[in-house]
Amino acid sequence: MRGITLNYFLRRLGIFFLTIWIAGTIIWLIPHLAPGDPISAMVARLASRSGFVENSAEIIQGWKERFGLNDSLPVQYVRYLGNLVHLDFGYSMANFPTPVSELINQALPWTIGLLLIATMITFVLGNFLGAIMVWRRTPRMIKYLIPVGMMFTSLPSILAALFLAYVFSFLLNWFPLIGSYDMGMKPGLNGPFILSVIQHGTLPALSIVIVSFGYWTLGMRGMMITVEGEDYMSLARAKGLGPFYMLYRYMVRNAILPQITAFAITLGTLISGQVLVEYAFSYQGMGTVIYNAILNQDYPVIQGTSFILIVVTALAVLIIDLIYPLIDPRISYGAK
Amino acid sequence: MKSRFKHLGLGIMLSLFALPLALNVVSAQTADVPREDTVIFDIDATSIASPTNFNDLVPGTNKNQGAHQAMWEPLFILNYETGKIDPYLGTAFTPNDKQDVWTLKLHDGIKWSDGVAFTSDDVVFTIQLLLDDKTKTLDNAANMQHWVKSVKKIDDTTVEFDLNLPNPRFQLDYFSVRIWGGLTIKPKHIWEGQDPTTFTFYDTAKGWPIGTGPYKLTSASPEQFVWDEDPNWWGAAAGFHALPEPKRLIWVVAGSETNKALLMSNHQLDSAMNITLGTLQAVQAKNPNAVAWVKDAPYSFADPCPRELEFNTEDPVWKDANLRKAVSLIIDRNQNIAIAYQGTTTPSTTMFVSYPGMNPFIDAITKAGEANDVVAHVEDGQKLIEAAGYAKNGSGIYEKDGKTLDVAIMVGNDTQEYVLSTNEIVEQLQQAGINASSNPVNGATGQNARQTGNYQAEWAWNTCGSVSEPWNSMNQLNVSYYKPAGEIATANYGRWNTDGAKAYSAIVDKMGSLPLGDASIPDLVAQAYKYIADETPIIPLVQAEKIVPFDTTYWTNWPTSDNAYIVPTTWWQNTFVILFNLHKAKPA
Repeated sequence: MRGITLNYFLRRLGIFFLTIWIAGTIIWLIPHLAPGDPISAMVARLASRSGFVENSAEIIQGWKERFGLNDSLPVQYVRYLGNLVHLDFGYSMANFPTPVSELINQALPWTIGLLLIATMITFVLGNFLGAIMVWRRTPRMIKYLIPVGMMFTSLPSILAALFLAYVFSFLLNWFPLIGSYDMGMKPGLNGPFILSVIQHGTLPALSIVIVSFGYWTLGMRGMMITVEGEDYMSLARAKGLGPFYMLYRYMVRNAILPQITAFAITLGTLISGQVLVEYAFSYQGMGTVIYNAILNQDYPVIQGTSFILIVVTALAVLIIDLIYPLIDPRISYGAK
Repeated sequence: MKSRFKHLGLGIMLSLFALPLALNVVSAQTADVPREDTVIFDIDATSIASPTNFNDLVPGTNKNQGAHQAMWEPLFILNYETGKIDPYLGTAFTPNDKQDVWTLKLHDGIKWSDGVAFTSDDVVFTIQLLLDDKTKTLDNAANMQHWVKSVKKIDDTTVEFDLNLPNPRFQLDYFSVRIWGGLTIKPKHIWEGQDPTTFTFYDTAKGWPIGTGPYKLTSASPEQFVWDEDPNWWGAAAGFHALPEPKRLIWVVAGSETNKALLMSNHQLDSAMNITLGTLQAVQAKNPNAVAWVKDAPYSFADPCPRELEFNTEDPVWKDANLRKAVSLIIDRNQNIAIAYQGTTTPSTTMFVSYPGMNPFIDAITKAGEANDVVAHVEDGQKLIEAAGYAKNGSGIYEKDGKTLDVAIMVGNDTQEYVLSTNEIVEQLQQAGINASSNPVNGATGQNARQTGNYQAEWAWNTCGSVSEPWNSMNQLNVSYYKPAGEIATANYGRWNTDGAKAYSAIVDKMGSLPLGDASIPDLVAQAYKYIADETPIIPLVQAEKIVPFDTTYWTNWPTSDNAYIVPTTWWQNTFVILFNLHKAKPA
C-alpha cells in the first residue's frame, strides 16, 4: 500500500491487539476492585422493592456458584479472556437469563441511529461554520452570530435536553417528550413507525447537536487560520483563483485532516451512547444499558459493552492510521 | 438573488416546523385504542433491559411493567386498609389447628388466557418446581424448601400443603401480596419440561407470556409495555368480577421526575410513581385534575417500610447501648420531617408502619411506655454521652481518651429522600456534639457492608415486613440470624446478640407460633419491645412517605384516603383491584 511498509503494518496490528488486551484486562479488573458484587446488588434491589429478602444468603451463594464468582480471580480472568476470544460475553447477571449480546443488539441500533445522524450533522455543521468564520467573503453579521450560537456549547447536554423538552414538547407540543416511538405503537418496518421514530429522535439529536457543534467549529476555525497564512494561499490569491475554489480546494481540504481523525475516534465512541440525553428523553440506547450495568455491578455487561467500545475505537484509529497516506500524500510510514 | 435565498430559507424553516405537526397527525392515526380507553402508568426505572424475559422465578426479573398488575393474578390480596386477606384466584386458605397443614381452595372456572383451565395441578407443579430446585436460586425456592414438606392435589380446585414447621403466616407471607407481590403460579402445560432458570416464557408466535389476568401482552420494549384487554377473561365468565373498563394499559419508562411532571401536566400519564411535594404542586398548578392520596399535607400514603437508624451493635464505640439511646433522644423527628420531607410524612413512635392493622401493637407499646418520643431531648441525650466518659472539646465535639465520638451513617445513594433525611440527621447530631457524617453508597456496596457488618450505622428500613401482624418485623432482629462480623448475615444486620436480645428473641419466637390475631400477641409485643427500647439497636425515625399522583382527566375513582379501597401502589400486584374500580371520566 502506498506509504506503508509490511513491517509497519504488522507493528501497528500488534499495537492494536496489545491495546485491546490491556484495555480488556483493565475493564475486567476495575469492577472487581469495587466493593460489593452483582449478586449482592441483585439482593439489594429485591430488598428495596419488597422490604426484606428471606434466605438471601442461600440465594447469593447459589447465584455466585452459577456465575463462577466463587472461583479464584485468576480462574475468573482466564475464563474471561477465553470468552472474549470467542466474543462470548455470557449472560447478564442483573437480567439473567438474558445474554449480554441480546442487550447490546437491542440497544445498539437505537444508539447508532440517533448518534450517527447527530454526530454527522454536528461534524458537517461545525466544520462548515468553522470554515466560514475564517473565510474573508463571509458576511460580517454571520461572523458575529456564530459565536453567539456557540454559547450552547458550554451547556451540559442534560440542560439542553431539558430546555428543548420544555419548549418544543411541553409548551409547543411539537415533539414527544419521552421514548423512541409513540406510546401504544407496535414496532415494525412501516411508514408510521419510521416517522414516529424520526419524530421521537429529533429532540435528543438536537440536544446533542447544539452542545457539540462548537467543538468542531473552533477546531476547524483554528486550522483554517493556520492554512490561510500559508504561502500557497498567497500564491493562489496572486493567481486570481476564485474565492469558492480557494475555500474548498486550498483551505478546507487542508484544514479538515485533523478533524477527520477526531471524527473517526468520535465514531468509535458512539456506541457508548449519551447517558444523560437518553435519560432525559427515556430513550432506549447503549448509554442506559451501560449506566444500569455499572449501577448493578453487572460484570458481563460492563465488560461486553466496554470491550466492543474499545475494539471499535481501536479499529477506527487503526484504520485512520493506515489510510492517512492515502488522504495526505505527504505522509508515509517507514517507507524509504 | 438575495430575495430568492430569503424565500428559500423561509420555506425550509416552515417545512422543518411543519414536519412534526404532520408527524403528529400520522402518529395519532396509528393508535388503534383511543386515549380515553387507555390508562398510562409509569415504570420506576431508567429502562427495562430485558423486556422479553417473563421468567419471574429468576430473582430480579421485572414484574412491575404490568406483568403482575395486569396478567399474573395473585391467589389472595391483603388489604392494608381493612387488615383482611381478600380472595382472588383462591377462595380460602385454611390451616389445621397445629398450623402445619394448609388447605388451599381455588375459584371455580379459572382459565389461562390461552383457554386451558387453571387447576390445582398448576399450583402443585409450581411449588414442586421450587422444592426440586437444589441450587435454591429460584425466587422463593429457599423459602418453600424451608417451610413445605410436600404439596399434593386433592381435587381440581383443592391443594394441600404439608409444612415442616407450624407457620401461622404461610398464606400471608407468600400468597397474599403482603408487600409488592406474591408467589405467582406457572402454567404447567407450558413450563413443564423447561429449564426454569433459562426459560424466558416469551414467544409471540405461541402467544407467550400468558396469565389468568384480564389483560394480555401486546408489545414489549425497554421503554414501554402495552397490554390489551382479554374479552375472554375467566373472571367475567365465572362471575368473579366484570371486565375492567380500561381497554388498554400502557406502562412506560417516564424517566426523570421532570418528565413525569410534564407528562402528567399534559394528561399523557395517568399514574406516576412517587414524586416530591414540589413536583406534585407544579403538576397540580397545570393540571387541577391531578390528585394525591391525601388532599392536603402530608399528601402521601405510608409505604410499608418505615425509616430507621440502625446501629452495628458490635462496633467498638456504638456497642454501648446508652450512646445509641442518646442518639435517639437527640434526634428531632419533626424537624427531620419539616426539612428533609417538606412535611410530607409523619414521625414514627415504634418500629412499625402506621396501618390500621398495626394499631393494636403500636398501642400496646405506647401503653407500656416503650414508644419513643418524636421531639428531641438533647440535654438528656448529652447527659448519657457524658455519663459514658465523654466531654466536649474546643470544637464542641464529644471526645474521650483523645478520640472524638464519630459515627459514619451509611445510606443508599440512589434516592434523594434517603440522602436528604440522613444529611439532616447528621446536622442534628453534629449540633449536639457527635461527629456524625453521611456515607452514601450504591446498592451493592451497601448490601455487602450490611451483610458482613462492615459499617457503624445505617439509615435504612431493614426491619420492614409487618403490615398487619407484628412478628415479621420483630423477627428481623432475632438472635437466630446473628453472625459474627465478616460472615454473611441475612437479618439482624446490626449483630444484636446481648442477653437482652436473647430474651427478646425468645418472646418473638413464642409470638411466631401463635395464630394470626391471637389475643395474647399485643402483650407479647410490649414485653419484647422493652428490650428494643432499653438497648436501642434501631432508632425509629419516620414513616416512609410516597406521593403517588393520579390524573382524573380520563379515569376516576383512583384510591385515595377518602376512598381507601386499596393502597395506591400501581407497581404492586394489588393493582388488579384498582383496575376493577377505575371508571371512565368521559364515557363514549
